[in-house]
Amino acid sequence: MGIWDTITDLVEAATPWTTADAEAPAQEEQQEETAETKEDESEKAEEATEEPAEEEEAEAEAEEDDEEEEDEEEIVDPKEKFEEECRESKQCAPAKHHFDECVDRVTNASSSDGPKEDCVEEFFHLAHCATQCAAPKLWSVLK
Amino acid sequence: MLARSCLRSTRALASARNSAVQFTKRAASSSSSGSTAESPLRLNVAAAAATAVAAGSIAWYYHLYGPTAHAMTPTEEGLHPTKYPWVHEQWFKTFDHQALRRGFQVYREVCASCHSLSRIPYRSLVGTVLTADEAKALATENEYDTEPNDQGEIEQRPGKLSDYLPSPYKNDEAARFANNGALPPDLSLIVKARHGGCNYIFSLLTGYPEEPPAGASVGAGLNFNPYFPGTGIAMARVLYDGLVDYEDETPASTPQMAKDVVEFLNWAAEPEMDDRKRMGMKILVVTSVLFAVSIWVKRYKWAAIKSRKIVYNPPKDNTTTRF
Repeated sequence: MGIWDTITDLVEAATPWTTADAEAPAQEEQQEETAETKEDESEKAEEATEEPAEEEEAEAEAEEDDEEEEDEEEIVDPKEKFEEECRESKQCAPAKHHFDECVDRVTNASSSDGPKEDCVEEFFHLAHCATQCAAPKLWSVLK
Repeated sequence: MLARSCLRSTRALASARNSAVQFTKRAASSSSSGSTAESPLRLNVAAAAATAVAAGSIAWYYHLYGPTAHAMTPTEEGLHPTKYPWVHEQWFKTFDHQALRRGFQVYREVCASCHSLSRIPYRSLVGTVLTADEAKALATENEYDTEPNDQGEIEQRPGKLSDYLPSPYKNDEAARFANNGALPPDLSLIVKARHGGCNYIFSLLTGYPEEPPAGASVGAGLNFNPYFPGTGIAMARVLYDGLVDYEDETPASTPQMAKDVVEFLNWAAEPEMDDRKRMGMKILVVTSVLFAVSIWVKRYKWAAIKSRKIVYNPPKDNTTTRF
């Protein structure tokens, strides 16, 4: 995406044979159908919003319907995938090394007295590196 | 009369200033002529002392105000969001209205159960997100107060295009009560209202880790999110893969939904963006044309002056030249 895209966009916009329709063509029968489907959708949405709360339990019990299972298996979260790759990459190796070391140190420090340490800062550095590396890849995949 | 007297007084002032300048000039010249007679050592001492004072004052200033005090820990600050290459943020790009449509669907099916969008009327959705018929159908799903009738009673009527999107709670107190004391902010202007804008909201929605990093303290009823200042946010992760069935059959992965809803919220915050960019383009076109015209006009006007030739013909001299 550079100046050439802009120029092609402008040319497309200027050419008389391209059309942009803001409104759907008026056909009453179809509109009624869309209204009905919309109601259905909103009902579905209500069902869908209830899902995530139950999801963890549902996964543990594995009592989901076949359709839902199929839907969830199809979609792979590209952000998670790219960021995992980036975390393992050479670019983020120092941040990952520090984070892992911190996690080891904190989990093994069993003594209750003394200052409590957390790995938030190390986590920040790792997350910063991973998201920065994954951002362009992610945008090339998303619509 | 007053003006004339003023003029007179300024004239008098000017003459006074002139005389003063002349006087100081004279004094300066006389003193410089006198100092050359003095030893050059004293002059150098003064210059060195002045330089030392200047350097010392700078040093003192940086001693006092130079180092910045970082009172906030990174945890309190929150992780700064990564910059994502949003297409609609480029200068000559508009919103992707297919994405706006998907984003509105995500808002309506997911966000709207807690967050209001109270500054957006149905009419503004027409032509940008929905068609007029769709917006009308959506508006009639909700009920609004009428004007008082003959008995002064306020009745309910189905919504019209001029109505605003309904809020999930009656007021802020009800919203706090329902959400464990945390107020879900209104999303109409949220993209403008947060540092980092689109990037922040996208990162916040998709940035919930599987579990908080080791040793991190998460308050009761809060969730760990690195992008939220303080890292403890009352909103739990809401976007999960496949939560929404898009009508254009885009795979509804978590970042896809987040991207769409963020673009929709950016439209909600600045619906004028497309027009604003077109107007900017118009201004660029008009000013560049005017600039070109002005250059041509200048060349035209100056043509006579630039192309003239000044010739000096010395008078014919019959006498022999002398060297």
